[in-house]
Amino acid sequence: MMDAVARLAESERDLTGIAADGSGEHGVGRPTVYVYEAPVRICHWVNAFSIIVLMVSGYFIGTPLPTVEGEASANFVMGYVRFAHFAAGQVLAVFFLVRILWAFVGNHHSRQIFYIPVHRRQFWKEVLHEIRWYAFLEREPKMYVGHNPLAQIAMFVGFTLFVAFMIVTGFALYSEGTGIDSWQHKLFGWVFAIWPNSQDVHTWHHIGMWALVVFATVHIYAAVREDIMSRQSIISSMISGERQFRD
Amino acid sequence: MGIQTPNGFNLDNSGKRIVVDPVTRIEGHMRVEVNVDADNVIRNAVSTGTMWRGIEVILKNRDPRDAWAFTERICGVCTGTHALTSVRAVENALGITIPQNANSIRNLMQLALQVQDHIVHFYHLHALDWVDVISALSADPRATSTLAQSISSWPLSSPGYFKDLQTRLKKFVESGQLGPFKNGYWGSKAYKLPPEANLMAVAHYLEALDFQKEIVKIHTIFGGKNPHPNWLVGGVPCPINVDGTGAVGAINMERLNLISSIIDRLIEFNEQVYLPDVAAIGSFYKDWLYGGGLSGQSVLAYGDVPEHANDYSSSSLKLPRGAIINGNLAEVFPVDHANPDEIQEFVVHSWYKYPDETKGLHPWDGVTEPNYVLGPNAKGTKTAIEQLDEGGKYSWIKAPRWRGNAMEVGPLARWVVGYAQNKSEFKDPVDKFLKDLSLPLSALFSTLGRTAARALESVWAGRQMRYFQDKLVANIKAGDSSTANVDKWKPESWPKEAKGFGFTEAPRGALAHWIRIKDTKIDNYQCVVPTTWNGSPRDPKGNIGAFEASLLNTPMVNPEQPLEILRTIHSFDPCLACSTHVMSPDGQELAKVKVR
Amino acid sequence: MGAATETFYSVIRRQGITRRSFHKFCSLTATSLGLGPLAASRIANALETKPRVPVIWMHGLECTCCSESFIRSAHPLVKDAVLSMISLDYDDTIMAAAGHQAEAILEETRAKHKGQYILAVEGNPPLNEGGMFCIDGGKPFVEKLKMMADDAMAIIAWGACASWGCVQAAKPNPTQATPIDRIITNKPIIKVPGCPPIAEVMTGVVTFIITFGKLPELDRQGRPKMFYSQRIHDKCYRRPHFDAGQFVAEWDDEAARNGYCLYKMGCKGPTTYNACSTVRWNGGVSFPIQSGHGCIGCSEDGFWDKGSFYDRLTDIKQFGIEKNADQIGMAAAGAVGAAVAAHAAVTAVKRLASKREHADHNS
Repeated sequence: MMDAVARLAESERDLTGIAADGSGEHGVGRPTVYVYEAPVRICHWVNAFSIIVLMVSGYFIGTPLPTVEGEASANFVMGYVRFAHFAAGQVLAVFFLVRILWAFVGNHHSRQIFYIPVHRRQFWKEVLHEIRWYAFLEREPKMYVGHNPLAQIAMFVGFTLFVAFMIVTGFALYSEGTGIDSWQHKLFGWVFAIWPNSQDVHTWHHIGMWALVVFATVHIYAAVREDIMSRQSIISSMISGERQFRD
Repeated sequence: MGIQTPNGFNLDNSGKRIVVDPVTRIEGHMRVEVNVDADNVIRNAVSTGTMWRGIEVILKNRDPRDAWAFTERICGVCTGTHALTSVRAVENALGITIPQNANSIRNLMQLALQVQDHIVHFYHLHALDWVDVISALSADPRATSTLAQSISSWPLSSPGYFKDLQTRLKKFVESGQLGPFKNGYWGSKAYKLPPEANLMAVAHYLEALDFQKEIVKIHTIFGGKNPHPNWLVGGVPCPINVDGTGAVGAINMERLNLISSIIDRLIEFNEQVYLPDVAAIGSFYKDWLYGGGLSGQSVLAYGDVPEHANDYSSSSLKLPRGAIINGNLAEVFPVDHANPDEIQEFVVHSWYKYPDETKGLHPWDGVTEPNYVLGPNAKGTKTAIEQLDEGGKYSWIKAPRWRGNAMEVGPLARWVVGYAQNKSEFKDPVDKFLKDLSLPLSALFSTLGRTAARALESVWAGRQMRYFQDKLVANIKAGDSSTANVDKWKPESWPKEAKGFGFTEAPRGALAHWIRIKDTKIDNYQCVVPTTWNGSPRDPKGNIGAFEASLLNTPMVNPEQPLEILRTIHSFDPCLACSTHVMSPDGQELAKVKVR
Repeated sequence: MGAATETFYSVIRRQGITRRSFHKFCSLTATSLGLGPLAASRIANALETKPRVPVIWMHGLECTCCSESFIRSAHPLVKDAVLSMISLDYDDTIMAAAGHQAEAILEETRAKHKGQYILAVEGNPPLNEGGMFCIDGGKPFVEKLKMMADDAMAIIAWGACASWGCVQAAKPNPTQATPIDRIITNKPIIKVPGCPPIAEVMTGVVTFIITFGKLPELDRQGRPKMFYSQRIHDKCYRRPHFDAGQFVAEWDDEAARNGYCLYKMGCKGPTTYNACSTVRWNGGVSFPIQSGHGCIGCSEDGFWDKGSFYDRLTDIKQFGIEKNADQIGMAAAGAVGAAVAAHAAVTAVKRLASKREHADHNS
């Protein structure tokens, strides 16, 4: 195992610093690397928490809880569920925005989830390698300081695009309540040019929630698995920011 | 050259051809062509439905519980009656029963439509065939008042009232902008009313316009809106809560009072305005008894307004059910919607294709494929028709037949069946109406008879509404406030396959829907509607339909002004959107118009 | 007794419109017709001297529910609208004339009132079969529509048919019924959707033009903001029950009799822009939700193809499946969950095998 890493590291001339080649992300021989800066970590956990709240509250907006007894004015169950949804949505939107801004000022790892280097053959070769690794066709994983190429694609599509879609459709739907003169409608009302009947926007927003459920499942599984199998810290890295290579 | 049709009419298309397109003051799009002889008497008639929407193919694979909303949009004039027919068809297929209250409420809605539709039809779609609006300007308001007061006790009848109205009308006409009265046939010799009767009729035209919107409030109370109120498979959507918590949001005392007051007012309007007007106008047109057509020969009624919930047998139906053929009033045949030999549709002269066009198909097995071709003797092109060829295909309407007979349906058909069955609630008013005008029974089979039957029916329907309102209240009083049966609401409770039919008597006549359900979705849906019967083109044997038959032998004062044609066609209250919505198979590649 | 001899100009002046605004309206109209400045003064002159604005009301594929709704108007009464406010010169549903005499009115209006008449369209043209699924005067309706649109001052699209396509355009749209804004692209079109629209909304739109001398402000989708800028849900009197979490679960249940929210019964009020919950229907008597049935969304684009009217979540029909978002999502999440579990199991087995191998190697 050690040999593999060493060989890989040698093949890349850059052996110092936080170690990256031009493509970004090849592993190095140092046991600990500072990868995720504080804003990235904060954004990650705030977003994760917001998304959980959004999923649960969103589900109960689509399928409300059983009727409560009493006078309407004495109850506000649906109101609270919707409040939770809107509040978490606003938080997610703000931190998603912060995360984008950080990509401009942060380290190069912070940019990784916002693009896919589609034009690089090497990248796709390594994607293939990762696919083979997950299909149990490779005995050894490659080491990466940041996301591996397959993970980068997953993060870009499953997180960045899906969440952006949810934020856009979410604000469009929210603008239905705030009215056509609101900034939400001015910014996101164009969604109704694509789906003139907002019932469709509801439906796609709902589908988007399930897409995020699927993403979260894979994301968490992959993190845990890599933590164990690739012998590099994944989960604790998102807390401390440092990635340890345990071999 | 003259020919005789199997159903006994002589046709001769050698004379001058007259085309009326569009026929106005109807629902939808329609064309009529006639040939007149040297004396301007109509000797051949061709009626064409000129629109097609394909609602039934759109219904395929949809939730049967939604079908009422789609079929309701077949027609916004007889709004609700298709929806009622549809929920009955679905309930029949799935074996769903409805509560008593739902039956009373549905009857109230159906009867309210009957009254509103008849009033709007007579005053706003039909009256201008009898009434010369411009002639009203020369009426003496005082004499008009005397006339009005001599025929009814309706309070709006003072000389001042008629004077004000005449002034307004004068101002309107003098503006030079006649609006809907523009290019009418004013001054034609075909108009026979004296100016005073015309002025009275114009007054009632406007009063009826104000009043009709009140009648439909019954739909609004039970169905939330009109046109196109909401219905429900298994009952009605409006809950009843007369005095409990939250009663303000349900059918409560205030709502029941509103319904009651509307019923009082419509009974009054029917009996003091509508029927007297028809009788008064009729008295001036007593010698214009053309337009009988099929009415004295073959009529069909399905029956409607069930006394008992879920009982659609003849004994429960308050509107009569049965078929009369060959003018034999002594024998009323039973009608069976499920019998494949009774109701069949033919397409030999319709713009559709059958594998074998000499045969008819029962609606459960109905196939339809559009096939827009003109006959060899048509003039013009396919997109600029000058003259149709009735020897070929010439209408978007199919030709339904009952045991091979072309039938007339509608208020007159219903009343003829009721009369033949010796039911006093139908026979007595007819006899009285005819006696008052000193006319024989044969006069009933005419354009005027059709118009009179509609007025008599409106009066009848108003009284039935009072009956069902009382029945509803009595049932609530007895402790039953149920309005919907949800036992079979969920599709999981349905059989894998089912078929059924539902029928009503729409204002314009017998209406039925046939449905096949498979795997909880609609597999096939067919509607045979009143104007399909009345407006049907010829069948393979050459029998002509009710519209065509009714136009024959009518003399025209001036063939350039198709007043007599309109008068008779209007007496059927045609609804073309209804009749011409039949289905097409999917995936038809059809020529398209380019958008710009 | 009405204002039959009043002109369009005197009516709008009485409503406080300045002469300047009036002329602006005329020149905008002229521009929309692609006419020069001379035409603007001609239009102004006509409106100053012509009594009532001519309205041509045409019918394509439809069910006449819009006309029926129009005559239900309580304020203004339709008789006052027709006798004193507009000049309804052509409307096949109520006009006295038929055939040639009716057709002649169209020709005359185009010639005499070019750029001065309102074209109101009920229904829509079908484009299949050369347009002959709707024949008018022996010709395709679409031709007549384009012809009359060319010289109109403004166009009103009545109802869901003209605005969106409505029931005949529901899948598979066998006649290729097409909303009018896809046929007429060079004219302002005011969409007044609904199946049908509320009577007072219809007369409200027409009288607004006459009273204020301008077209109403429209939203992104071309609907007058004054009636269509808020959802039925936003102003529904049952909204407190929605926020409280009190829902009807079954027809005629206790909650239904108490007037609870119909959200779970598939009410489309939350996605439907219309004035039903405020203006209400037929003189304010009720509206669908008040009478116990959910809104079916009849003023929305393609409302026929959004699954059953009784489903909260819309069915998605794609690739031969027909399921709602939750059914699809749960299936997908379940499948992925199972795949993850299987993958984890294989990983564990492989890891165990590899460890043993390591152990063997080391020993």
